[in-house]
Amino acid sequence: MPTLKIDHERCTECRMCYLACRELNLNAVYVALEPLHRLEIDPHKCTYPVCTVCLAYCPAEGSIVEAESGRWLVPPPPDVHRWWLKPVSV
Amino acid sequence: MTELPGKELAQELIQKSREESRSTPMEAVITAAREGKFHGEEGFRLIGRLWTLERLFYYIYGGWGQGLEIGDFSPSVKYLFSRQIMDESTHEMLYLDMLLRKRWVRTQKEAFQHPYGQFAIDSALAYHAFSLRNLATYPHSVRIAALNLGAKILELGWMEGLAEVLTDEDLRSVFTSQFVENRSHINMGRRIVEECVSKPFEAELCRWACKVARRDYCMFLQELSDVVLGREPVVEARTIPLRVND
Repeated sequence: MPTLKIDHERCTECRMCYLACRELNLNAVYVALEPLHRLEIDPHKCTYPVCTVCLAYCPAEGSIVEAESGRWLVPPPPDVHRWWLKPVSV
Repeated sequence: MTELPGKELAQELIQKSREESRSTPMEAVITAAREGKFHGEEGFRLIGRLWTLERLFYYIYGGWGQGLEIGDFSPSVKYLFSRQIMDESTHEMLYLDMLLRKRWVRTQKEAFQHPYGQFAIDSALAYHAFSLRNLATYPHSVRIAALNLGAKILELGWMEGLAEVLTDEDLRSVFTSQFVENRSHINMGRRIVEECVSKPFEAELCRWACKVARRDYCMFLQELSDVVLGREPVVEARTIPLRVND
């Protein structure tokens, strides 16, 4: 399965992805335990492409990418844009 | 170059807090960790209570923000304050992440409901938070002196001490990754006092507020240390108010 990662060159650290992921109780987006405290995505917890909520709220073009292909997912392309307002069971 | 008016005061407050920073009630927790008596349960209690305090900073800073007026302080002072709010929010996230990462709680909701993550009004934690919030009606320079040159210096002291002896890498990193921001808050406090505190009565207010913040933070640390080590709580609120000339 493809996984997501954050491109720190483009991410503005607005934290919308963190909040959206936490609200769905997936908790895949976390604060890295290093002094810069950048946001990272845990591929073991992230359910992409089942959930794409972070993509829907991210304001910075190209800041979340598919790790394997490097494909830009912000704004979410039509083929990956599907997300739930309710928590999904994983 | 113009001499900064509050330079000596900032040094005085920093010195006083540094003297206390390695004799707080957290030394018992550091000793326990050094002796191998700090395990998962103790870590859960520590992070749970620290997360609860961090949440209260949204409340404290909310009050402080309301007390800022256009033109009362330079934009740089307000920028530094907003930076500090952001950092404090990051630390709140770090603690919650750790609760989830260690599977001490399964969800954010569970963290709020767990006794270690609950806010109780009859606690030293609440006393410290209300005491800081109460500074909302004081000039920003006074309350920043209290927090950043008082409680924050004590906090950095025990965190550095604890990080040195913790063997759990994740737990250690929760603290070590905060050091840069914590030092920056102390430097912000130093700068604001140096630049903005020029009158003798303001200096006295800073000394008083700093003393109150250190005292109340130490009460919280006593409670925290007791909770972490599973001891009977010994904290009693000191109801006699500190006066400026105490």
